[in-house]
Amino acid sequence: MEFDKKSLLKLGKLARISISDDKLNNLSKDLNSILEFVDQLKEIKTDQVDPTSNSLYQKLEVRDDKVDTKNSAEDILENAPEKEMDFFVVPKVIE
Amino acid sequence: MKDSYTLKSLAVLLENNKISSKELTSEYLKNIENGKDLNCYNTISQEKALIDAEKSDERRKSQNLRSKYDGIPIGIKDLFCTKGVATTASSKILSNFVPNYESTVTQNCDDAGLISLGKLNCDEFAMGSTNKTSFFGSVKNPWKSVNSDNELVPGGSSGGSAAAVSGDLCVASLGTDTGGSIRQPASFTGTVGLKPSYGRVSRWGIVAFASSLDQAGPITKTVEDAAILLDIISGHDEKDSTSSVNPKENYYENLNSDIKGMKIGIPKEFRSDKLPASTQKSWDECANLLKTNGAEIVDISLPHTMSALPAYYIIAPAEASSNLARYDGVRYGLRVKGNDLIDMYEKTRSEGFGDEVKRRILIGTYVLSSGYYDAYYIKAQKIRSLIKSDYVEAFKKVDAILTPSTPSTAFEIANEPSDPVQNYLNDIFTVPVNLAGLPGISIPYANDENNLPIGLQLITNSFEEQKLLNVAKNIEETINYSETPEKWWLK
Repeated sequence: MEFDKKSLLKLGKLARISISDDKLNNLSKDLNSILEFVDQLKEIKTDQVDPTSNSLYQKLEVRDDKVDTKNSAEDILENAPEKEMDFFVVPKVIE
Repeated sequence: MKDSYTLKSLAVLLENNKISSKELTSEYLKNIENGKDLNCYNTISQEKALIDAEKSDERRKSQNLRSKYDGIPIGIKDLFCTKGVATTASSKILSNFVPNYESTVTQNCDDAGLISLGKLNCDEFAMGSTNKTSFFGSVKNPWKSVNSDNELVPGGSSGGSAAAVSGDLCVASLGTDTGGSIRQPASFTGTVGLKPSYGRVSRWGIVAFASSLDQAGPITKTVEDAAILLDIISGHDEKDSTSSVNPKENYYENLNSDIKGMKIGIPKEFRSDKLPASTQKSWDECANLLKTNGAEIVDISLPHTMSALPAYYIIAPAEASSNLARYDGVRYGLRVKGNDLIDMYEKTRSEGFGDEVKRRILIGTYVLSSGYYDAYYIKAQKIRSLIKSDYVEAFKKVDAILTPSTPSTAFEIANEPSDPVQNYLNDIFTVPVNLAGLPGISIPYANDENNLPIGLQLITNSFEEQKLLNVAKNIEETINYSETPEKWWLK
């Protein structure tokens, strides 16, 4: 597949990144170049191979169910661009 | 400032009261000020560093030291969250972010009494191999070619970390390595860069790029210093479920450069006509040197080496697109006003991320999207299994593997290729190590015909950092590389 203007704008929607018209040409050229590069993997046979998502073969430990006092609402809200009481404020979503 | 300062030598000077932590910290702060042209630091913690140094001097007086290295100042890549000190990942989207918590690695450094001089410049979100993707501008390599006055890239993404050590703007630094981001800049700057095994060092509190590949590690002047800093930062952390429960070793104490009887593998797939003659020569010479020192050189094959880079450029962007979804203008970081919630997300991310980060998020989103997930993402993970099993087989035959660190020495900032794929090729020798989760180290071996450092890479099996450091120490002792850049930035 090739990235054209339409597919690139759709991808931008999925990734929540707006793409301006003047960037479209260069971006599609770059992404097509990357895609062409990774497409060489198609030539390698992998039918009998299991995927590896993580190189560390270790059982995940279950931690103790203890209460701690870290991560207070105040701490979590400290860097919020906009806040009110104990809430993050975002533009209105429900009319 | 003496070029011979190391963590090891400074510990002795402090112990013998030849210098105080405050004097030492002031000296480095002065070097940082004089080296501003190198653009190594995003944040200089002038005031805090001096206060911390005074506290260290008091601990020394009252014989209440946190470690032998208490009072030594180091630099920290701007990817580690540091309480009360801006942590930007060299991105506009985090340019106003001041964490109220401390990463485990930097906490470990603090627990050992190390002092932070500030936060080091890097590629934006650690995505890049030249440091040019930083929102705060390129870092300049302290080295210059003897044949040109043009500025060179320091490598990346830990370019500030490597350049600062090379230019004496700190004695040692912390970096992170997802596909070569410690080893490649170390190679370009004549420093030692160690990427530990996946799981050896906690990732908690480090701005995430690709969580199954990211590891923090030291950049230092010597192999001994790399062992010292690894001792300080490594170990299990209950806050990172992927940190290993394998007990850590005393890497520095157990350093032993005797390599008699060891088998060192030379992988034929790393050979290339495109490799500069001087790099090939260093690689061959180093193999001969190890043979002279008692090791056996074994030709090995890692058949899937050439598939590592394309697999990496599916897996790393896929993980990055998930990790960077959190930057949405809601909880922290930049917010750009929009007409509604979605518009706010899109504008914030469009203005906040640079071009390379956007490219990777878009590629990652694509390979994870419905209809392409199996063809790209799962396929790449299967290739990852093949790469891992190449190394499993190789380590049945050899103790360590020797390769060049990079396909070239440092190049001019102005000559960076515009095609992203050409840039990705910088990491061709380092990426397989991350995919397989292995430890790797780059050490300076010699300088090329332009007087630029050539780095060689050693790789061992998972959690065999001790063996890795031992072989590296053997090479270091034998060649005694002592080249330092001319300090052109001191006018």
